[in-house]
Amino acid sequence: MPLSVFAVVACGGQTDSAPVDISGQTVERETDRGAVLALACTGCHSEGGGAIVSLSDHDTSQLRAALLQYKSELDGTTVMHRLARGYTEADIDLVSAYLEQAEADR
Amino acid sequence: MTLSLNRRHILQSTLLGVSAFALPISAYAQTDARIVIIGGGFGGATTAMTLKKLLPNSSVTLIEVNALFTACPFSNLVIGGLRDVSAQSFSYDALEAAGIKLIFDVASDVDPTGKTVRVGLDTVVPYDKLILSPGVDLRFNALEGYDLDAAERLPHAWKAGPQTLLLQHRLQDVEDGEIVLMSVPPAPYRCPPGPYERASLIANYLKTQKPRSKLIVLDAKEQFSKMALFQEAWAEHYPDHLEWRGASNDGTVSRVDAETNTVYTDFESFQSTAINIIPPQKAGFIAERAGVTNSTGWCPIDPLSFESILQSDIHVIGDATIAAPMPKSAFSANLQGKVCAVAIARILAGLAPEPTILANTCYSYTTPDEAISIAGVYSNDNAGLSSIAGAGGVSPLGADKAVRNAEALQAAHWFETITSEAFG
Repeated sequence: MPLSVFAVVACGGQTDSAPVDISGQTVERETDRGAVLALACTGCHSEGGGAIVSLSDHDTSQLRAALLQYKSELDGTTVMHRLARGYTEADIDLVSAYLEQAEADR
Repeated sequence: MTLSLNRRHILQSTLLGVSAFALPISAYAQTDARIVIIGGGFGGATTAMTLKKLLPNSSVTLIEVNALFTACPFSNLVIGGLRDVSAQSFSYDALEAAGIKLIFDVASDVDPTGKTVRVGLDTVVPYDKLILSPGVDLRFNALEGYDLDAAERLPHAWKAGPQTLLLQHRLQDVEDGEIVLMSVPPAPYRCPPGPYERASLIANYLKTQKPRSKLIVLDAKEQFSKMALFQEAWAEHYPDHLEWRGASNDGTVSRVDAETNTVYTDFESFQSTAINIIPPQKAGFIAERAGVTNSTGWCPIDPLSFESILQSDIHVIGDATIAAPMPKSAFSANLQGKVCAVAIARILAGLAPEPTILANTCYSYTTPDEAISIAGVYSNDNAGLSSIAGAGGVSPLGADKAVRNAEALQAAHWFETITSEAFG
């Protein structure tokens, strides 16, 4: 979900300036497969980074390459190795593209 | 104050209903949907925040008994004297700022037919969609002698807050040389690796503060989460301070006597100043009132939307659900909350929920600066919730200390991030 929507709510408190969704298209965009896959990332990865890297300063190809490397390194020691093996390359493409787009929308 | 808040909420809902009357049907659904969430933990708070972001014009109300949330993850560090309890405490200010209505009171009943929640004694809150994130209730008296009063002497500390500090203080009162006891129930219960992280950190406390004392863990099970990793850490760090007894080694506690600070197994009894009884559990009581529990005491759900199988328009997330192989963890509750919010937003927008991939990660500290982890990846398609083959698993056995140190730092970062996502 684009963070621009978050910002309106977070700053405005109430919903005067928030978009009124008449068609359901906004919800459809915010809940497509890439966006929903990315929900599993945000419980650990924060904007500021630190012991767990921030995802916000990487583009789609960097994110994709990192996830594919996690998926293929069988002797990896991090939780990301064990998690990445559960995602197809198609899903890795979708979530990588979504994360870059979410950052661009911010 | 609570009453006036509740009345204002109902009034606002009514006014919104009138003003939205002239809008097209889909907009009506979006702007006037009354979404009520019961339980403001990792699941409920995250669901509220996510729904308000996806549907800025909907009415989102969170009913939670405590105005301050005390987090269970990392509370074992408090018990072990390594962390201040204030670091576990979170307010709901960010939720209020996001436009979520807060009612700090007990949700005492649900009418799934009339679609209302009773709050306290006489306040009625109507809903179009209800999300229950009630966590667990302790099954008092399931273990003979262990009731609400007994818990004041033999703390469970399985809900963070005063119980956490009570157990910490009991440990501080232990005479050097005295044994300390912990009783672990059969599965399922909140936080499968939690008792063993706690055992590690209590053993660490004894090793450093009461070196002639020892913790005996009495377990109703034969195997447990991250067992080989915990046992590796215990052999290395706590050979003289931690003894684990499984069910086949007379580990099952059959009754307790809070008056004499005694726990009984089939063949032995133990007395101690510090006894931690982790009792059997079930879904929080409001789930039973709503008619969403089955004979197990837990809540069966459709994993696509987390809607109850037993009641329509009531969704259940977090520890209260039957979501195996997903464990009852803060990570699971947080992600289930987000996926449930997405499903509800789609339903209200006239779209069908779609299958996705869910995940879980749980870190456990074995020493103050070393941790181990378990991860899982799950699909929630029509076949139900299932682990994705080849994914998930635990930290490597025999790993360098650097790997354990890195996971301890990652655990701390995870806590900061997930609490920030849930509570702002």
